[in-house]
Amino acid sequence: MRLADFIGGLVALILGLAVIFFSSQLNYYSEFGPGPGFLPLWVGIIITGSAVYVIIDILKKQRKAGVFFKPRTRLGLQVLITIIVTFLLLPLFGFAIGLALFIGVTMRMMGKHGWILCGLTAIVTAIGIHFIFVSWLTIPLPQGLIGW
Amino acid sequence: MELLNNLYTGFSIALTFNNIIYCLVGVFYGQIIGVLPGIGAPTAIALLLPLTYKVNPTSALIMFAGIYYGVAYGGTITSVLINVPGESSTVMTCIDGYQMAQKGRAGAALSIAAIGSWIAGTVSIIILMAFAPALAKFALRFGPPEYFALTLMAFGLLTVFGGEEPIKTIISTMLGLLIATIGLDVVSGMPRFAFGVPQLLGGIDFVVIICGMFGIAEVFFSIEEPEEGELVKSKLRLGDLFLTWEEWIYSRWAIVRGGIIGFLVGIIPAGGITTASFLAYLGEKRYSKHPERFGKGAIEGVAAPESANNAASISGFAPLLALGIPGSPTTAVMLAGFMMWGIRPGPMLFQKNPDLVWGLISSMYIGNFLLLLMNLFLIPAFVAILRLPYTIIMGFIVIFASVGAYSVNNNLFDVWMMLGFSVLGYIMRKLNYPIVPLVLALVLGNLSENSLRQALTISGGSFSIFFKRPISAIFIFAAILAYLTPVIRWALKRLRHVHIDTTSSNT
Repeated sequence: MRLADFIGGLVALILGLAVIFFSSQLNYYSEFGPGPGFLPLWVGIIITGSAVYVIIDILKKQRKAGVFFKPRTRLGLQVLITIIVTFLLLPLFGFAIGLALFIGVTMRMMGKHGWILCGLTAIVTAIGIHFIFVSWLTIPLPQGLIGW
Repeated sequence: MELLNNLYTGFSIALTFNNIIYCLVGVFYGQIIGVLPGIGAPTAIALLLPLTYKVNPTSALIMFAGIYYGVAYGGTITSVLINVPGESSTVMTCIDGYQMAQKGRAGAALSIAAIGSWIAGTVSIIILMAFAPALAKFALRFGPPEYFALTLMAFGLLTVFGGEEPIKTIISTMLGLLIATIGLDVVSGMPRFAFGVPQLLGGIDFVVIICGMFGIAEVFFSIEEPEEGELVKSKLRLGDLFLTWEEWIYSRWAIVRGGIIGFLVGIIPAGGITTASFLAYLGEKRYSKHPERFGKGAIEGVAAPESANNAASISGFAPLLALGIPGSPTTAVMLAGFMMWGIRPGPMLFQKNPDLVWGLISSMYIGNFLLLLMNLFLIPAFVAILRLPYTIIMGFIVIFASVGAYSVNNNLFDVWMMLGFSVLGYIMRKLNYPIVPLVLALVLGNLSENSLRQALTISGGSFSIFFKRPISAIFIFAAILAYLTPVIRWALKRLRHVHIDTTSSNT
């Protein structure tokens, strides 16, 4: 956790410095008053200063231990990857079928439910998404190449 | 007389068939969300926000408000029956509520929570009706310096009420302000931090961020640390809901005290309902003649925090409606809703949209009454919801978040952004960087920056404008004090240590 916290502080520091760099390219002051770079520059300075404090604090004292990767973090990562794959497939399947497949797959993968229950839930979800969002709320959800 | 007039206007709107249905749907949905662990009021509202573009704003807000205070009622059920707070605002209820349930008094715990919430909520609405217009009238005097100072104070108070590490709260707040600056600058028309990406020129929509940070990030968290408790064995019967005379004697003043604390905390920017219930519990324990009863099933330990969280959820509407400053993540999401419909909350709202304001406030009487009935008679039905497998709940969150993010601009770019923010939110929470300051800073970012720039333009660049005007000076002073709180706490701690060291070395 200490390492993760340290990396977090480092990322904040890099972000702060980047914000200072990019906002210094914007006008700090215009003839009417503060320019577009005024607030971002100060935000960058405060982020940088705070990040330095966080890093020094981590290096200086033993902070309470904790673990970043927990036994079930893997499962969370699996779900993240499933979501990424689903989103990548959305242009192909469309929203209704794509998200329904997501529900079916995660129910099978995480909940260890039977194939029939997973399949039925996926079908009901696809019909539900289509009727609620597309037909009723008229949201123009992409239908994909083989989608609905 | 004016109050009665407003009440009449409000009820004539809130009591239309359409709005009663929206109110009922809101409180029912809120109650369910409250029961379900891992999904809170801001997420619930954020997921619905994009779907209500076409709904009449008054009706949608009536529904959202219903969700907000409905969640505060619903979270109690899991706190009492399985020792798992369905909501962060009902954490304190677990302590004595679960103990009561183990002694066979679950019904009484749920009953006093519902009754206390209803009494505190209803009285809070009455006070809100008088207080909010007065606050709005007062806020008519606010100019850009006051608004900037007010937002600065709100950010400062976040460090007091925010996470365990104030410095990380500051980083979160700054990150929120930074995200708010992405896109075209309204004054100069210059693009900021868009890096040539056309979709970023219009800025990142609030709904996209909130669906990711509260919705999907919460899914990752719930998978990693599932909140599992054991349902109390004894069956709930209707007769168990009745309180004994002794229980009523113990709770009646706890409801009043909890309600007062809740109302006051709710109106402070960044106060929030969780802080309210926490302070009410501690206050009640300190005030009690028998503090040893607390933690062992004291009914006043349920009555006080439950009354407080509901009172705070009502009073939180005062700064939102009268000043346009949200005090909690939920009211921040509602502010995003106002912006979506092109309505600007603030002092003028009471004059420009009296129907909306009074309709919304009056609907709270109806919603609270519906919740009282639901919580006295429908508890077994809500307990049944707990049996729903988490994978299905998770699936629904992913569906609503994805559709919500997509529907903002009808493009997949926003869906990917939402996922990116969910990962950011998840990592931030794991590393103890609180999310609420980011969200509040994000929603107040434009107001804060624009008022700062306007104020400095008026003063010709001199910061003295913030100190010369009394209201602004008070806010700035409060902000400085809030930012210094961690330093003051640290100094006091050091002083105490030195004192203990010297006394121990003397002996």
